Amino acid sequence: MSVTQEQRTARALKPPTRRGRNDRAVWLYVVPVVAVFLFVFVGPLIFTAWTALHETTYYQIKEFSGLNSFTELFADKDLPKQIGTTLAFSLGALAIALPLGFASAVVLNKIIRFKRTVRSLFLLPWLMSQATVGTLWLWFLNPNYGPGTAITKALGFGPTDVFSSPASALVAVTLITAWWSYPQAMVLFLGALQTVPTELYESLRVDGGNAWQGFVNITLPFLRNTIVSVVVVLLMLYVQMVTIILVTTRGGPLGGTETLSMRVFNKTFQDFDLSGASATAILLFAINIALTLVAIRFRRKDTL
Amino acid sequence: MTATIPARRRRPGHLLRRLPIWAIVAITAVLVLPPILWILSTSLKTEANTVAFPPVWIPNPLSFDSYTGLFTSANVRFFANSLIYAIGSIVLALVVCVPAAYVATRFRGRRMESLMTGILVLSMVPGVVVFIALYSMFVKTSLINSYPLLILVYTGIICGQTILFLRNFIENIPVEIEEAAAIDGCSRLQILIRIVLPLIRPGIAAVAIFIFVFVWNDFLVGTVLATTEDMKTVQNGIVRYISTGFGNFWASFGAFVIVAFIPVLGIFVAFQRWFIAGLTSGGVKS
Repeated sequence: MSVTQEQRTARALKPPTRRGRNDRAVWLYVVPVVAVFLFVFVGPLIFTAWTALHETTYYQIKEFSGLNSFTELFADKDLPKQIGTTLAFSLGALAIALPLGFASAVVLNKIIRFKRTVRSLFLLPWLMSQATVGTLWLWFLNPNYGPGTAITKALGFGPTDVFSSPASALVAVTLITAWWSYPQAMVLFLGALQTVPTELYESLRVDGGNAWQGFVNITLPFLRNTIVSVVVVLLMLYVQMVTIILVTTRGGPLGGTETLSMRVFNKTFQDFDLSGASATAILLFAINIALTLVAIRFRRKDTL
Repeated sequence: MTATIPARRRRPGHLLRRLPIWAIVAITAVLVLPPILWILSTSLKTEANTVAFPPVWIPNPLSFDSYTGLFTSANVRFFANSLIYAIGSIVLALVVCVPAAYVATRFRGRRMESLMTGILVLSMVPGVVVFIALYSMFVKTSLINSYPLLILVYTGIICGQTILFLRNFIENIPVEIEEAAAIDGCSRLQILIRIVLPLIRPGIAAVAIFIFVFVWNDFLVGTVLATTEDMKTVQNGIVRYISTGFGNFWASFGAFVIVAFIPVLGIFVAFQRWFIAGLTSGGVKS
């Protein structure tokens, strides 16, 4: 590693024969990727900003309307509720997936026998697509024929009609999302756990410390940056989540599961209000930029 | 590390200490497996038996009708489409990302670094924002609902992570090899194709696996940017049962889910190590 580092500096110190005309050719190699990004990200983002500043009917852009769509957005009575739903959904799923992912990573790190089998078991929900997971649970919790209902009925409750009331639908969607996403946290934690030097635990054991002290004094401090990264990765995943919600509830019932990203989707495809969708999209984008900045900050600290 | 394991295993009280670990494994199994086993069981029932209550876990009689019934032209089209999108995205993403990852690793400068940061930040833009804008931009053109557009969009979404991942591999190639080739008169492009490319083959394999699984499992792009049934993806095929289903469809639905899951599961079993390497690429390690 250090050798390549030296080589690199040696290369940088080399007289400017390699620089100049030759160096400009380097940029040819990034032309394709820049073109793809202009088309897939930059263009659509400009278009979104443009439509947010104009009136739209269906997909036609009409006259300039300034910040009207934003004042409409923030005056919308549904917005505080949707922000609340987004927070409840994201933080709820995070509160489940984070400890679950951490616990399973610790288990995988400790386990010796059946390691591959257990890892496959833990990863199974993540291997499935979001569409599969949503429909799978929809069928499992089916109020008429699902095993979920059989269990709740056997316990003396009614059928698991979770998707018919706003509150229970939100809980169900949150749990399903956590179920699907905890292996993502696990995989990230596992990579980091393997970098914690085992000698530290051994010296702690020699000094008479127990497992809990090892966890608090060695594992947690070592994983601090990883925990922040995992939190950010998961939050981004949840804030952008459309598929699982779309497949199970479409944002209903009565808007009970309509997060901000579902609002963008529904504004476009149900209300045909492109301008309103774009204003919401820009709000979503701003939240995402904030999360990305946190991610980049901690990524830097992690590697330097 | 491996030398200490047998000693530790023989230590007294070992079994008791392992108990919490296996308890967590058991609880996870109880939480993870039932819905999956239920869909497998459903797929092997006759349609009439899928709606029995209380639910029956072991199908009786065992029926493979729902699997044989899957071979309709509409279903084959879903699978073919997803395969085309996946392979197209793998090829395009590699063509676009390998050169970029190469120069970004070997010719670092402040401007190159800020370009790469920009690419990384942009690739974190919420997918739904981009898809809906692209839909509105192209809904009136022939570009919508076409293989090139969807492949391009998938590639764009996956590019950031692909470049990050490939950079790690290229960094591990000793620069001396490339310099020797340069002295022998290789051009930069020749170095990339003849020297770097063969050396990063494992990285390319991991990236290909990662992209395949991403595209295969994606639902949203196919929902928004493919507007007619004949261009939709496997995941759209799954959801179609729920959203437009009438009568008894649960066994066919189960069979479709299982068949759609088999490629991903097969790749996972066959290439577990690379698969996990691909999964971790987007996160803390960079």
